[in-house]
Amino acid sequence: MGKGSHLGDLEELILLTVLRLGEDAHGGRVRDELKELAGRSVSVSTVYVTLMRLEEKGYARSWKGEPTSERGGKAKRHYEVSPEGAEVLEAVRRVRDRIWQGIEAISTEAAGA
Amino acid sequence: MSSSPRPPRIGTWLMESVLPPTDRGAAVLGDLHEEFVSRASRGLHRARIWYVREALGVAVRYVGQSQNYQRGRSRLDVDGRGTWEGFMDAVVMNVRFAVRRLAKSPMFTMVAITSLGLGIGANTAMFSLVNAVIIRDQPFEDPAALMDIYEAGEGFSHGTLSYPDYVDIKEGSTDVFEDAGGMQLVLLQMDAENGVEMVPAEAVTGNYFSILGIHAALGRLFTAADDVARGAHPVVVLGHGYWTRRFGSDPLIVGSELRIAGRPYTVIGVAPKDFAGTVRGVEPVAFVPITMYDELQGMGGNTLEARGNQSFFAKARLRPGATAAQAEAVADRTSASLREAYPTYWQQTKAFVLVPTAEVIMNPMVDRVLVPAASMIMVVVGLVLLIACANLASFLLARAADRRKEIAVRLAIGAQRRTLVGQLLTESILLSMLGGLAGVALAVQSLRALVAADLPLPLPVTLDLSLDPVVLGFSLFVSVAAGVLFGLAPALQSANADVASTLRDESAGGGRARGAALRNLLVVGQVAVSVVLLVGAGLFLRSLEASRDIDPGFGSAPTAILKITIPADRYSESEGLVYLTSLTERIGLLSGVEAVGIIDNLHLEQLNTQNARVMVDGIDPPAGSDFHRVDFATADEGFFAAAGIPVIAGRGFDPSDRPDTERVVLVNEEFTRRFLPGASAVGRSIVVNDEAVQVIGVTADHKVRQLGEAPRPFVYLNRNDSYWASVTLLARTTDDADRLALDMMVAARALDPEIMVVQTTTMRRHLAVVLLGRELGAMVVGGFALLALLLASIGLYGVVSFAVARRAKEVGIRLSLGADPRSVVRMLTGAGMKLVALGGAIGLVVAAAVARLLSSLLYGIPPLDPVTFVGVPVVLGLVALAASWIPAHRATRIDPVSALRAE
Repeated sequence: MGKGSHLGDLEELILLTVLRLGEDAHGGRVRDELKELAGRSVSVSTVYVTLMRLEEKGYARSWKGEPTSERGGKAKRHYEVSPEGAEVLEAVRRVRDRIWQGIEAISTEAAGA
Repeated sequence: MSSSPRPPRIGTWLMESVLPPTDRGAAVLGDLHEEFVSRASRGLHRARIWYVREALGVAVRYVGQSQNYQRGRSRLDVDGRGTWEGFMDAVVMNVRFAVRRLAKSPMFTMVAITSLGLGIGANTAMFSLVNAVIIRDQPFEDPAALMDIYEAGEGFSHGTLSYPDYVDIKEGSTDVFEDAGGMQLVLLQMDAENGVEMVPAEAVTGNYFSILGIHAALGRLFTAADDVARGAHPVVVLGHGYWTRRFGSDPLIVGSELRIAGRPYTVIGVAPKDFAGTVRGVEPVAFVPITMYDELQGMGGNTLEARGNQSFFAKARLRPGATAAQAEAVADRTSASLREAYPTYWQQTKAFVLVPTAEVIMNPMVDRVLVPAASMIMVVVGLVLLIACANLASFLLARAADRRKEIAVRLAIGAQRRTLVGQLLTESILLSMLGGLAGVALAVQSLRALVAADLPLPLPVTLDLSLDPVVLGFSLFVSVAAGVLFGLAPALQSANADVASTLRDESAGGGRARGAALRNLLVVGQVAVSVVLLVGAGLFLRSLEASRDIDPGFGSAPTAILKITIPADRYSESEGLVYLTSLTERIGLLSGVEAVGIIDNLHLEQLNTQNARVMVDGIDPPAGSDFHRVDFATADEGFFAAAGIPVIAGRGFDPSDRPDTERVVLVNEEFTRRFLPGASAVGRSIVVNDEAVQVIGVTADHKVRQLGEAPRPFVYLNRNDSYWASVTLLARTTDDADRLALDMMVAARALDPEIMVVQTTTMRRHLAVVLLGRELGAMVVGGFALLALLLASIGLYGVVSFAVARRAKEVGIRLSLGADPRSVVRMLTGAGMKLVALGGAIGLVVAAAVARLLSSLLYGIPPLDPVTFVGVPVVLGLVALAASWIPAHRATRIDPVSALRAE
């Protein structure tokens, strides 16, 4: 990929989470899912700043949802992975897979961490 | 829904102020709100903490984020029109820029900060004083309804009352005054760690605090129940300062006992911090009921019934709806009835005078001197600051000239003028703020020195000179104003540079004439102001010198002074006399002592004058009076030798002049001139205080009330005839008077450990009190005038240095063509001195006018004192010559080749 295509570790995880959540992808859910699946606890601001960066890079898109009272009357913002984002995730996966092919097995201690 | 908890407002506010006001921002707020609600169901407290922490995270991240976005723009648009953030960005950048520039020329920065620091420091210090003495409000409740009650009479317009007078006006004015009360100053003999200390206190009426509306900081204050019977209320309220200093703000002090004048007093409370008594400058360490006054004073007698003892400061509170005019009518009515009832004390001229408390600073009579003195000092320091600011402007103009090329380049490549002016102004404001910081530090130090200075004051003066917001605000205002006012002209001037001509030829200096003219004008102004200040200082110094030359007519030899009070409750009159006789004997045996004497009220005592009713056959008393009022004192036989007052005819007192023999007095020469002209006064009979007495001797004249006074008639009564428990002992010595004073105190205590020692001092210090006003005036004005001269010299030095630097090429050419270096120095120095001559001439004219205004404050010299008016220009000329010669001389060392090549 060209320049600026580099995907940070957290960017990758969040983009994957958005992909996985599908229609339900918004800031709060992304955060919860990330904690559940990856065991990573990140702050709301981190999630949003990362999503903003992903949008700037063109890997994600967002639109406004409906305001609800349990949100203090504030609208949700829904996210989805853009075609470019899907492409870059795919590319990252290919690289990983290629590297993994040369490895037979790893010790349980290392894997458990 | 309405019951769902709200997230902490601070967190929401924090995020709203950083998040963009778009859907995106709302989404963040919404997410956090949603999660807060779900967390709150598990624990509200933890949820709130979580929310605030998240909000902080958002704030930090988004501020960083938005700055990243803006940075590209803010580089181009420094003055960031319109938005507050843009403005702040520009300020931050300007400050950074200014710091870098100032750091590049440390010499300039140092001189500018020092000179401003001196100016602002002088202003801050003097303003602190004025603030502490005059401006700071007293913490009274509804001060508009409070009135001071004074008595006017012959020779005084606003005197204190006697206690019986106070009772009369209080009882006679209940229809206009809600209540009236007051206090008398008293020195307390308080037991301290090593021995005892005499500390100032207020003996107050029971309603004193409630009239003023003062509430206790601890415990309680006095009530009417604490002020019922004489000697029956050994209770004390501590002043806040004393409580802090001496007892470390002990919160358990209430209920403990203090030994005062040998009797245990129960502490019932502590006065609030902002209340330091009602006489400014005299901070009472404690308050006691006025019913304890006589016992504490230890002089016997009953002050509460003595109509002749006028030392009560009275205040009253108007009833709601009552007017000052009504109160005055009541006071007049009371005055009239008192004149009728007590003609001895209430002469026809005597009357009550009411003044609103809010209009009084210390006392209307003192205020008449205090306010002009304070204004004069503020004018003087204001002028010093003006000179310092002129230096700042002058330096900035010089720098602006140096930076012309840089600024022209920046203008040429599209910098905006207002941006440049903003930067230059930031620089001058930064300089003046740094100067202000230095100034405040300087002021704090000098005020500390002033408080610690051992001034021979007639009363222990305590002023709270700590920096309060008013003083700091003043300094900040002065600093910023100086920076703006004196930075604006140079900034505008440099930003208006003519780009084309400046860039074409830097050295020719297109707009230099105007800058130079402005700087020259500043120097002329500085010199003129310096001359005015120097002349003022010179006049004060000369008149101090003239006062110093006055012979007070006594106390020229080293003499120790001990003031004591013999407790009247333990000593009868005859026992008191025995005590004094043994004490004088003991003191007479101390090494170096040549003569010991006693007087009740030493001459030139600032706080106390006393006069007697004198009648002499053949000399009519002044109209409307049955007698002459003549100053008097009660002295013993040793006094005249101890004080060094020669008895020029007849004899002094003698131990054989006993109360049972004929009463005898001494008078001074002026008395004989006025009342006993012609034949010898000795042996004549006169009437003093309604008693026939014989004049047995005549003393030489001496000063009585003031150093500058014309000779005053004076009568000495014999101490054997009239006992007085409070006395001043004098001991003339060939040795160290300061040490002797302490030895005398030890001797007095050895005879009776509980004797009340009011003061130990020396004749030199006693006389210094008289000169204190003049000395302080001369010192303060002189100090500031020297400061002004120094600052003006710095300014002149700068102007000449700059002229030299600018003319380096010209000087180089002249020197290389063989010009005499001395003529070059003359040329450059001459240009500077022309400015000095002009400024000096203007200054002298103004000074002559000012001197006439000051003439009432001068003693012994004419306002146009030739020594001052010749001396000041000479001193100024010499200093100015040095300030301009040094840089001019440097010019002759310019290497012509490098000077020419530098272009």
